[in-house]
This record gives sequence, C-alpha cells and structure tokens, in this order.
Amino acid sequence: MHYRLFAVVFTLLLTFAVPASAVDSKGIYKLNQDRVFQVRVLNRETGKKSSIGSGFIVGDGHQLATNYHVISQVILEPELFYISYLGNDGAEGELRLQALDVAHDLALLAAEQALGEAIEMSPLPPRGAPIFAMGNPLDLGLNIAVGTNGGILNQTDDSRILFSGSLNPGMSGGPTFNESGQAIGINVATARNNISFIVPSRFLTDLINRASNAEFADNVDLKAEVARQVLAYENHYIEQLLATDWSSLNLRQFQLPGVISPTVRCWDNSSKLSAVARYKRYQIRCANQNHVYLDADNNFVGRLIYEYYWLESDELNAIQFYNLYESLNKDQVDSKPGRDIATNFNCETWFINVSSQQMKSNLCRREYLEYPGMSDVLFTAALTGHANKGFFVTLILTGVDFDSTLPLIQRFLETTEWTP
Amino acid sequence: MDALIIEINARGLHRYEVISKGTTTIGRALDNDIILSDPTVAPHHLQVVQHADDSIELINLASINPTQLDRQVIDTLVIEKLPVALEIGRVQATLLSRDQPVAATRPLAGNRGHRHPFGHAYWALLLVLACLLVSGLDFFLSSYNSFKWGDLLKHLLHETILTIGGFVLALSILERLLVNRWEIRLLLTSVCLMFLLYTSFMWFADGLDYLLSASWPSGLLYFGWYLVMVPAAIALYLIHVSHLTRERSLLLALLIASPLALPSILQSSQMQLLFDNFSPTASYHNKLSYFNWHLRESVDIERFIEQARKLEPGAAAD
Repeated sequence: MHYRLFAVVFTLLLTFAVPASAVDSKGIYKLNQDRVFQVRVLNRETGKKSSIGSGFIVGDGHQLATNYHVISQVILEPELFYISYLGNDGAEGELRLQALDVAHDLALLAAEQALGEAIEMSPLPPRGAPIFAMGNPLDLGLNIAVGTNGGILNQTDDSRILFSGSLNPGMSGGPTFNESGQAIGINVATARNNISFIVPSRFLTDLINRASNAEFADNVDLKAEVARQVLAYENHYIEQLLATDWSSLNLRQFQLPGVISPTVRCWDNSSKLSAVARYKRYQIRCANQNHVYLDADNNFVGRLIYEYYWLESDELNAIQFYNLYESLNKDQVDSKPGRDIATNFNCETWFINVSSQQMKSNLCRREYLEYPGMSDVLFTAALTGHANKGFFVTLILTGVDFDSTLPLIQRFLETTEWTP
Repeated sequence: MDALIIEINARGLHRYEVISKGTTTIGRALDNDIILSDPTVAPHHLQVVQHADDSIELINLASINPTQLDRQVIDTLVIEKLPVALEIGRVQATLLSRDQPVAATRPLAGNRGHRHPFGHAYWALLLVLACLLVSGLDFFLSSYNSFKWGDLLKHLLHETILTIGGFVLALSILERLLVNRWEIRLLLTSVCLMFLLYTSFMWFADGLDYLLSASWPSGLLYFGWYLVMVPAAIALYLIHVSHLTRERSLLLALLIASPLALPSILQSSQMQLLFDNFSPTASYHNKLSYFNWHLRESVDIERFIEQARKLEPGAAAD
C-alpha cells in the first residue's frame, strides 16, 4: 500500500516538476493556456473594455501579475473603471489592485477566488537562449511569440531584458517563459521589428513579497502612491548620477559633462547646414533611455536630456550673429500636457559665472497636478560676451522632485570648463 | 431782409444754397427751388417762407419722412432764432443767417500746402527711401546665409512695399469716402513715418527686454503701439490734414485703427495667455544681446543654486 502511494506521488511530482526539461512553444502553450488571462479595464457604466492586456497567475493562486500601464486608467479614474480578467475558458471576474511597482511597470492584482496554479518563476537563461512570450495580441486570442534572450540592457536603469520576438499591443503583462516553461519575465514594451522588452521576474518576486507584507488599503490614495514611487525611483537615480564619476566631452572651447551614467547615450545631433550658411553649428544630444510610464494622459516621465550647442562664425557681424544665436536658444520640454494635467511653467533668469565666463540662464519648473511633489525641470544656460562665439546647454528632467535636481544642475555647471 | 442760407450736409464738403425770396420750396421734384436727390426726400418736402417782418416759417409738405426739427416732426413752425438743424428725409441741413461767422482758414496739406510740415514731395520720397533702407538693414541683420540681391528684393517687396502700399491704399480710399479727396502722397509720408517708428520701437523694446531680463517692456510697447500710437496718429492726421473736428477724428481713428489693432493684439502671446492662462511651453527669457547690457548682477554657481531653491512651483491654470 505504502509502495503504491509512493509510486503515485512520485509520478505526480514528475508530471509537475518536469517542466524543468526542455519543451517547445506548443508544450508551453498547452501547459499555460489556463494560467494566462486577458486583463481588461472596463467602464462601469457601459461595461465595455477601455484597455486590454495580459496577466498570469502568481503567488497564492489568487493573484495575477500584469503591467502597471495595462491598468493605469483605474488609477486615474477609479470611480469610472474597474479591472477584470477573462480566462481562456471564458471565465471572468473582477480583480482588486493589490500592489504596484510603477518604476518597473508592474501591478499585482487579486481575485476573490483561486484562479489556478501559479506559474513558477526563474532567473534569466543564458543570452541567446530561446524564450517564449504569451499574451492576447490585439484582442485576437491567446498566442505565443518565440524569440531569443538578448540579455539585460544597461541603457535603462530598470534593467529590462531585450527580446528578439514580436510583442504586440494586448500582450503587455503576459509572461515570458524559458524553455522549461518557467516565467523569466513579464512582457512590457516593443520597439517594433522584433525588438521587444521584458521586465525581469525578480522585480515581480519582490513585488509579491512586498504585497504579502502590506497590500493597499481600500482608501489608499493611488495617485499619491504612484508619485511616491516615481519620486523615490528618480531620487535614487539622481543620487546614483551624483555618486559616480562623469566622463567629459569636448565641444570647441568647452569641456563638458559627457556620458554621466550607463543609462545615457550621447549622439552628434549637428544637422546639415545649407551650403550658403555663413556660420558653423555643432550639437550634441545626450539622453537616458528611462521611460517610466505614468498614465495614459502623461505617458512617460523619467527622462534626463542634456543638449549642447556651439555656434561660431567669422563672416557674420556681431548683431547678425546674436540674432541667429537668439533664434536657436528656444529648447522646450517635449511633452505638452494639458491644463488639467500640469501647471504652467514658472521660470526665472540668472546671469551665472561659470568657469570665468558669464552665462545667461533660465530655470523653469512645472508641477503635475495629480501627483504631489512631481515636477518637470528645464534649465538653459547661454554663453554671453563673445562677438562671434555662442554656446548653450539645455538640461531637462521629467517627473522629478525639483529640489533633487539642483545638485545635479550645480555639478553640471561646476564640471563645465572653458578653455581660453 | 437778410438772406438765409441753407447748409446741406454732405461728406466732408457741405452744399450751401441761398434762400433770398419769400417762399422757397425744397424737395426731390425738379420744379423745386432747391432740389435734393436723396430717395428719402419727398418730391415736395418743405417750404421755407420769409415774411416781411423777417420771421421765418417752415411748412412741412411731406407725408412720408416728414421734416424734423431737433428730432420733432413739424407741421408748420415759425423760427425765432438761427441756426436750426433740420432733417429732410435722411438729409441733414442747417438754416443759417448770412452773417454766421466761419472758422479760420486752414492751410492746405500735401504738395499744395507749402506751410504744412509734410507739404513737400521730397518728404514722401525721403521717408519711402528711409523705410526701404531700414527694412533692408533689418533683413541684412537677420540673414545668416550668403547675401543674395534676389532675397533682399523679395523681402523689400513683401515686407515693405506691399505693407506700406496696402496701408496707403486702404487709408486713401477711406479719406476719399470721408472728405472726397485723394491724398496719396501725404498718406505715404505718414505711413512711412509710422513704419519707421514701429521698427525703432521694436528694436528699442528688444534692448529694454534684455536690460531688465523681462518680457513686459516689449509687451507694453506692443500694446501701447496698437492701442495708443496708431489711433493717435490717425486722429492727428484727420485733424491736421483732413481738417475734421477733434471729436469726429478721434471716433474715426478708433474705428479705423480697430481692424489693424485687434487681430494683432488678439494674436499676441500675452493676450492669448490672458484669455487662456495656460501654456504647455516654458516662457523663459531667451533673448541674447551682443552688448550684454543688463541690470541683473552676475552670481556664482553656489549663489545661483541658493536662489534657485526659492523658485516657486508653477501656477495652475484656472
């Protein structure tokens, strides 16, 4: 009797533990088709879908993991929208928001009843290994996309995985599996042409652990929570920037901050001038690749952009030169939110002595109305006092705590060196 | 018996008829002593009778649009004191005594008026040349590519000749309607003068903006230009050149200036911010000047950061 029981248990163990051996996409699909759901944001009045994504069972079997951006509309308008799941077998039900990780675009949802068996999570397989993304592309039904692991990206501070498969709208929040059928990450974004991005599963594991300690109370101010998380992430990011050594770059007579973080890339942005132009213009644009999704109205924050312009001419007289110089000095923050989203900019002008030169500078800030403490910051500084040389820098930070940006601006100016 | 004069008001130049006999008839029919061709005037509208005792009697003959004196319909009325204002249909007329004093003679304007400040043709020529020169200079200072005569001529044609020509033409037509005269040369002088003043104003405003590190000086000058300078210039023109009364000149100046001023003012960024006090772009002070004259003191980096900490959050739109 004991022998027979042992044989049954052993057989069952083999059945569920063997996913450790390699399976193909067909096997992964079959194994997980009832564990991957469509996550939908529904309008309470019309009962119709406002946005869709995917989600999969994690934790205690009542929980679904998805992307924050899939369900962010509920945070903007909780009185109008709610979250629901739809299973492959047609089962559906309401979901409750349990925890968020805005910086890594993750959300943990909970159903009243058990949804099934949780998907096991695993670290990243070796670079080049096949991985499989599951989800509901374009509301067409559950599908699986095959690609390879391109490794962890160091261009982004949230350490995303590069996936060579094709993610499509609706697959966001679905699981990405290794060959053993374990979830190595969560589908999050695409840059098209089979360049897609996955959030590593370790961030989801952290979120599940955090939620088990403290899940959201019913009356939690979700927008304040989103702001708190974004600001904590941005403050940490800026602290990291300030703690590292910055490389420098030379632009004519200036030595300037170059690549100040692995998340930053600098490009020559000098546009081709007309053959009849009587001046020379050089432009370098540096920007990070951090895109922190805020909500459907604001889209992304977390950008750090700094751009340098050098302008010179031996042919223009001083007045012509300054007319040209002034016409170029007009950089703006790319995003143009509406009056319901952000305040007006408040700007102030200074003349600052930087490395024996004088610069006319402007510092501007605007606040996000619904996210307390969150600002966009624009800083410009233009060289003055030279008849035929001009230089200006623009520094833009979005979704940050204004005070935390000042040490960064200070270091920018202090590491700017003029060579006579 | 003193002869009476009836003044029939017309655009700019009035018509005067002498009423010297006992009974004078006024109306649209050709058998009247004084014929008014206006369609609102009856064929036989009014009789003016001068009695032997010098009293004057008005007898209304019109059943449609009867004669009015001080906005009161009259049937018959004996006039005791001159002048009196009459409405014959929609024609305005005044009965005057012949010894009514007249205003002092005004000097002729334009080429025929040698005592007038703009009376000489060379003024117009000089100012047109000055406008072309200033506009050309503005083009030269704003061009950063190799100089091309074709571009300069295109700029002068579009930005200067067509602008000045358009204003002169429009104002000439208005003057023709107002005072029944063409004064193109004089208008050309005046419009060129305004063009030069405007260009100088804007250069000055730019300098002032940089000096004060603010944008209100140019905003103030811009509004001042359209709300004060342009109407004032038109009013002065109408008073001193067209010889209209001050009140009429001011009213007409406001009417003429409005179509010029309103679109410019309504499209200005300041006014748009007033109507819709929100902008998603930062209005920072981006002006740069070679002369670098500014009243703000230069600060070191630490002082800047210290002051920057006090930068207030942006204000929400209403």
